[in-house]
This record gives sequence, structure tokens and C-alpha cells, in this order.
Amino acid sequence: MRPNQNTVAGRRLPRLDGAAKATGRYVYGTDVTLPGTLYGKVLRSDMPHARLTRIDVSAARAMRGVRAVITSADVPQVRYGNAVKDQTVFATDTVRFVGHPLAAVAADTLEIAEQALSAIAVELEPLPPLFDPEAALAPDAPLLHPDWQDYVALPVIAREGNIAGRSRMRHGDVEAAFAQAHRVYEHRFTTALQHAGYTEPRAASAAWDSTGVLTVWSNGQLPFEVQATLADILELPVSRIRVVVPGIGGGFGGKLRIGVEHFAALLARQSGRPVKMITTSEEELIAAHPRQAAIITVKTAVSADGRILARQGRVVVDCGACSGSGPGTGAVALQCLVGPYRTPNLLMESLAVYTNKVPSGSFRAPSGPMANFAVESQMDIIAKDLGIDPLEIRLRNIVREGDLGPAGEVLKDVSIEECLRRAADAIGWHDRAAEPGRGKGIACSWWMTTGGSSAVFIKLNGDGTVALTSGAVELGTGALTGAAQILAEELSLDLEDVRVATVDTLHVPYDYGAQGSRTAFSVGNACRAAAADLRQQLFALVAAQHGVPAEEMMLRDKCVVAGDKRIPLADIARQQYTGGGLVARGTALNPPPAYDPARVENHPLPVWNTPSFHAHAADVSVDTETGEVTINRYVVAQDVGYAINPTYIEGQIEGGVSQGLGQALSEEIVYQDGRVLNANLTDYKMPTSLDVPPIESILVECPSAAGPYGAKGVGEPPCIEPPATIANAVAAATGLWITSLPITAEKILLRLKGEP
Amino acid sequence: MRNPLTLTINGEQHDLLIEPHWTLLHVLRGQIGLAGSKENCLEAECGVCTVLLDGKAVNSCILLASLCAGRSIVTIEGLGDPEHLHPLQAAFVKHGAVQCGYCIPGMILTAKSYLDEHPDRMPSRDEIREAISGTLCRCTGYQKIIDAIAAVAAERAGKGAQEDAP
Repeated sequence: MRPNQNTVAGRRLPRLDGAAKATGRYVYGTDVTLPGTLYGKVLRSDMPHARLTRIDVSAARAMRGVRAVITSADVPQVRYGNAVKDQTVFATDTVRFVGHPLAAVAADTLEIAEQALSAIAVELEPLPPLFDPEAALAPDAPLLHPDWQDYVALPVIAREGNIAGRSRMRHGDVEAAFAQAHRVYEHRFTTALQHAGYTEPRAASAAWDSTGVLTVWSNGQLPFEVQATLADILELPVSRIRVVVPGIGGGFGGKLRIGVEHFAALLARQSGRPVKMITTSEEELIAAHPRQAAIITVKTAVSADGRILARQGRVVVDCGACSGSGPGTGAVALQCLVGPYRTPNLLMESLAVYTNKVPSGSFRAPSGPMANFAVESQMDIIAKDLGIDPLEIRLRNIVREGDLGPAGEVLKDVSIEECLRRAADAIGWHDRAAEPGRGKGIACSWWMTTGGSSAVFIKLNGDGTVALTSGAVELGTGALTGAAQILAEELSLDLEDVRVATVDTLHVPYDYGAQGSRTAFSVGNACRAAAADLRQQLFALVAAQHGVPAEEMMLRDKCVVAGDKRIPLADIARQQYTGGGLVARGTALNPPPAYDPARVENHPLPVWNTPSFHAHAADVSVDTETGEVTINRYVVAQDVGYAINPTYIEGQIEGGVSQGLGQALSEEIVYQDGRVLNANLTDYKMPTSLDVPPIESILVECPSAAGPYGAKGVGEPPCIEPPATIANAVAAATGLWITSLPITAEKILLRLKGEP
Repeated sequence: MRNPLTLTINGEQHDLLIEPHWTLLHVLRGQIGLAGSKENCLEAECGVCTVLLDGKAVNSCILLASLCAGRSIVTIEGLGDPEHLHPLQAAFVKHGAVQCGYCIPGMILTAKSYLDEHPDRMPSRDEIREAISGTLCRCTGYQKIIDAIAAVAAERAGKGAQEDAP
């Protein structure tokens, strides 16, 4: 089947869940309310680092309407976590951040639960806090996890003291290249904590049944990880834990790790009643899983004509009080520090470091924007110093088809030149008449399509429609509509003929989860495999009945076409009720490409699957009186391989860019002395409709060998380049590079006035 | 101590017993089962709880239910259903304005309130931007939401022009 003959895939069809969402009928995690439910709340530490000397819940337990109160003393003494098991449900003897859970309460109403929290007596003895990740690296720094050596971690993770994960990539000899280079540039960049900003808070309902099986209704992105984490915490086999995901109001990576499911489950167990929990905006901003703040140093050697000879980089990600997603996030930054550039000598290191702040997570393209901000700002600084056009210096250095990537993998389906040229043309790169306070910037990057397996079950119904069951959740991206378009295409159905089942770990097959730009890609591949299985079954049945060889059959217009016969799928499905019905299965394994292990050390994602390439360009004005940045135009050229549904790909680009513009210009969880100063949605400044400019999307289609019809991952890349693009455009307008995110009006104005 | 209250929601009367401090959002979601009005910040910062009160968009999360007696309340469920979409709902689906969808009920009701307040002219995109700026959307970058609202406004303006034609 050729993509350009497709009638369902590749079309701008409305998403399957659109009408339900637009009419308020779609059910989200926050909408699940079980009969007889209690409401749960968490008591959190108000000190960043302290010894917990006493916690007395007797008064809270005695309150009317309070049905359960739990602390560390009431739960299994288990450490859990993704890369490093360094987290406990509640603080046991030490609190490590403002927001650290101390106790939880379930009561008849939310008001009673809140009153009960204030009836819990807590005594904390302050310990010296550690807020600066670089200070935490000092040899004499106090250890935030003195028992770190007893923690269990994934074998790939290298740890030491306050370092929860250290990864390296290396190739060639950077020192020799630095010694011989025309010039060597070294810069330091910093970025801020950014909340994922999903509009539906993290929520869970939990209930135990009479057989001891726990059911949790979760709005998490990774139902199988929620299940496994609950199994760790509750010390139960996974088969005793059922995770149902009704609907998700955005995640963007912020809902990868467990949210409040474990509190709800433990409170439900103690009370013997269902428990519902929803996090508040304040809890989201002090105790969710934001994008890490990072410190990036980049040292690059170049020839006189601007060719990269060597690059050394270090990224320090501030994991906060627990490692969270930090070790993997830090490591992924290394590929972005190399960027889509030929780099003959490289030495990259990432450090994920504990501090007394919120444990952080992996927001959309987790460390991509930070690393990209550093290297792409530096590319422009180098270009200016050498008198080379910023577009030209990139074109001189970009990787080409068949080049080796940083892990020694062979790069295929490389489209970075087309992306750069099309973004530049669209923004009018060669028409940059000098205008005070106005400038254009460009930045580019690459990103992975995360691997991991997916499986789907499909069932042909008696009316000729198909039920699609997978373990992949719909975050809002439209990825499952995309997968359904592929399935419909393969079975000659209309999109509306595919019904997507709700995820319930009791009966859905495994999926690696809605993360890493992988859902449409991976579930789409599994749908193609399942469709092939179903076709084979259909053709065998028709062959047996009509004596036409299966090789001569095809599907067209919802029928099996066998010679001059056309047999509707619905008829075959109904006939086959006597044979147990028609069910098929497909899997996608998405194996990583071969790479050179000698180039990587302790890297959880050493080589990227099916990379995508992209370039962004912006035209901005800077008000030199106020420092305010106005974005006049913003252009994205992104290689999506094959546009399964252009409308929702544009939606990914427009939404990802607006999140990236938030990180570039306004978003920061501001800490002072370990406390968040802006824990509400007025002071934490996400872009509103007044802040996001029109975004022009150019969909480049350089097909991949691995994706359905050539598709590549789409969801994360759009938020990688905005900080660098804006920084470079601001520099073009003012002559000044702001090297710390967000690039606020205040920072610009101070620099314009000559302050450092 | 619960007090009796009668609310008119989507044209139907509901006789309720409520606590004096309950918000309209709490009553809609918890007492009546109209969960289309969404819950997030509970501080009127995000706009996902928006409903129409006597035709005007309001944040139901900070509005006491008892203040709504005798007034007309319209929620997203009162606008249309999946088989009979309101033009704004149809336009949001058609233009790809819906992603996760959590802000969409509030967005659509905000847009309806705005368009109803300005029946006689075609708003500019900047005016639409201004009109919806109280509702946060993290998924879409607002572009396709503005497309959808502009399309409905344009269709309305077109119809008006036809009706005005001699």
C-alpha cells in the first residue's frame, strides 16, 4: 500500500474523541467519583530540610467524619522510584523539600479532610539545606541521602553521594582539537524549573474489592508504570492491581511518574472505603514533577571557516529531593548538546544532582530545550565572532545521510538541511534589513522517537466495525486517532468504524506508555501488524468458503474482494460467531539501531530510534524602554516523516511552541530559601491567548524506514527550539545574548543598561 | 446545615439542599452530575470551570451557588450533544481546536458569551484573543481555537449579510 494512495491516513479528519470533549461528555480522571467515596488530602512539610522528630495524628483520627489517617508508621517501609529507588511514600525521619508528604487523611468531605490536616501535630528540627546543585557537588557537601549506597537502582545508573546519575558520551580527542583549533569558545547557561501546566490536575480514585484486588482510576501517562510502582509500594503482585485510565486532561510528561494514586490506595485500604484525591494548584507547583532547572557549560572548538572541530559539554540537572526522572533526563541532554552537527571530537557529561527542592520529572522533550538553548545560542555567538551568517554556519556543520551520530549509529533519513532552508525561507532570512530593536533568529535540533514495545488487540464486530484495544492512553495529542487512521486504512474502513477502548490494565496488552513522541508511531506500527493478521484470517475463511486462493484477495470498501466476489467484512464477522469471532493481534518492538558502546557510559538511552529533525525561526521586536519582547512571526519546519493527520500535527507544533515560548520568556517556579514564591496560576506565568503569536507550521516529510508509512515522532520536538530561537532573535535585535532562562523583560532591560 | 435552593440549569429546575459555602461548580459536578464544567485551580485563574450565568461567562469555581437562585445557568451540556452539536462545538471539532479537551467547555462558553455580546459585527482575531484570554489552554497554543471562533463569527456575519440583502 502506498502512502500517497491513502484515503484515511494522511487526511485532516476530525479526532474520534472530539465531539465528546466539545460537549463536556468525555470523562477525565477528575470526573470519576465512586459511590460512597471519601476525599483524601496530604499534609506536606513546610521546611526544606529537617529532622522529623514527632508526628501525632491522634487528634485528627478522633475528628468526626475522619475515616483514615496514615503516616510513615502505617505504610510498608519501601523505597520506590524510576531509575533510583530513593523515594518513600511519606518522610520517615528526614524531610527533604517544602512539600514533602508527612501524612494523609481521608474524610467524608474535603473540608473535614483539610481540617484534619491542621489537627496533626508535627515537630521538625531544621537541618542545613542545600539548594544549589553545584554546591551539592562539592567534596565536603553534606549528603542529602546519607544511605544512598543502600538504594536499589537500574544497573546502568552510576551514582555517588549527591549525584543520582552520571552519564557520559565521548569520541575522539577533544583536548588535542582544542589545542589546535582556530578558536575555542566556552559559555555557561542556566535554565529554570518549568511546570508541565496540564489543565487537569493529577487525580486518582482507589477502591479495594472483596478479593483484595485494588482498582485505581488514574490520569497518568504510563498505566503500567503506575501499576508497577503501586506493586512496589503495596508489596503486592501486579495482578492484584488494576489501573484504569478514563481520560487525561494533558500530561506533557508531567504525569509520567506516579501522582496521588498511592495515597488514595493506602487511604482506601485503611478506611475500607473508596478514596478520591485531586491535587491543588499549589501542590502542583510545589510538589509535582516539573522540568528540571539546569546549568549547562559548552566549550566548542572551530576552524576559521566555522567548522566544529570539538565540543565538550556538561549539563547539571537539579533533580531536587529525589532523583525522579533526573538521571535519564540529564543523559538525554548529551545528544542534544551534540546537536544535528558533525562533531569529530566530543566529550559530554551529565550529572543529576540532589538538592532540597521539588523532585523533578520529565516535561516534554525533557532536557532538549535546555541543551538546545546552550548550543544554539553558542552557535550564533560563534557565527557573529567569525563574521559568518547564522544560517550558513549551521549548513556548514549539519549531519548528512549516512553520517555517524554521537553514539556511532548510522544516521538515516536525515532532513536537517531541508528544515533549515524552509524555515529560513519562510521567515525571510535573507531580508534582514537593519532595524533597531528588531531581529530574526534561527535554531535547529534533532530528537528521538522513543522505542519500547506496543501491542494491540483488534476485534471485528458483527456490523463490520473494529474495536481497537491497546495499553496506550490518549493524552490529548490525537495519537490514538492517528493510530486508528492507520488501522482503518489497512482494513479499508472509515475512521468512524474504529472504536478505541478505554485503557484498563486488567485486559489491555502492554504498552511502554504515552511518552517520548512514540504513541502514534508505535501503536500505528502495531495496528499495521494486527491488520495484517486479521486480513490473513479473513482471506483464509473466504478461501475455504469460495475456493479462491488467498493470494488473489484484497480488502476494498469494507469487503474482501475475491475474484468477482465482494464479501462484506460484516458478513464474515457474523458468520464467524460460530467460530469464536474474529480477533487479531499486532505487536511493535521498535528495536534501537546498532551503536558503538565504547562511546557511551552509564547512559539509559544511549542511541536514538528514528530521529526527527527540525528548525525554528522567529522575527521579534524588543522594546528598549521596557525590555518587552514581541514575537512578530514564528515559523517551524519539522520533519514528521509522514503526516498521519496534518491538523493534529500542526496542533502539536502550535502547542509545543507555545510551551517553549513560556519557557523562553516567562515561566519559572521561583524558589527563595527553599520555598516556592509563585505557587498559583496567576504568578506562575504560562502563555495566555494574548502571549502566543501566530505559528506557521511547515511539515517536512522525509519518510523513515521504521514508522507507519514513514512517520517519525512528532509530539516533543516543537518545544525544543523556542528558547534558543528567541534568544538568538533577541540577540539579533539588541546585540545581547541572555544566557539564563526565562528571558524576562527585566533581564533584557538590565543588560541594555549595561549590567551583567 | 443545608438550605433549600432552586437552580435553573440548562432550562431545567433543580431543587437542592446545599451548604451555604458551596460553589456553583461544586453543586454542578457533585450534586447534579454535570461534570462538563471542569475543575482545576478553584481560584478563577484558569477558566476551565466557566459557565454562562444569564448569558455571561463566569468562573463557577468562585461563585456561591446560593447567589444563582432565580438566574439562568447554562453549562456545556446545555449547548449541544454529540449528535446535535452547537455551531461552536462543531467548529472546534472541525478546526482541530480540541486536544486534551479539558479547557474546551470553558473556551466554548466564553466564546459564546463574547459572540452573543457582540451580535452585529465580525470580531478581529485580536479581539477574539482578548475575549478568551481568561481561559488557559496548554495544548493548542490557541491558534486553532481562534480559527474555530472566527469561522463561527464569519458564518454568522455571512448569514446576517444574506438576510440584509434586498
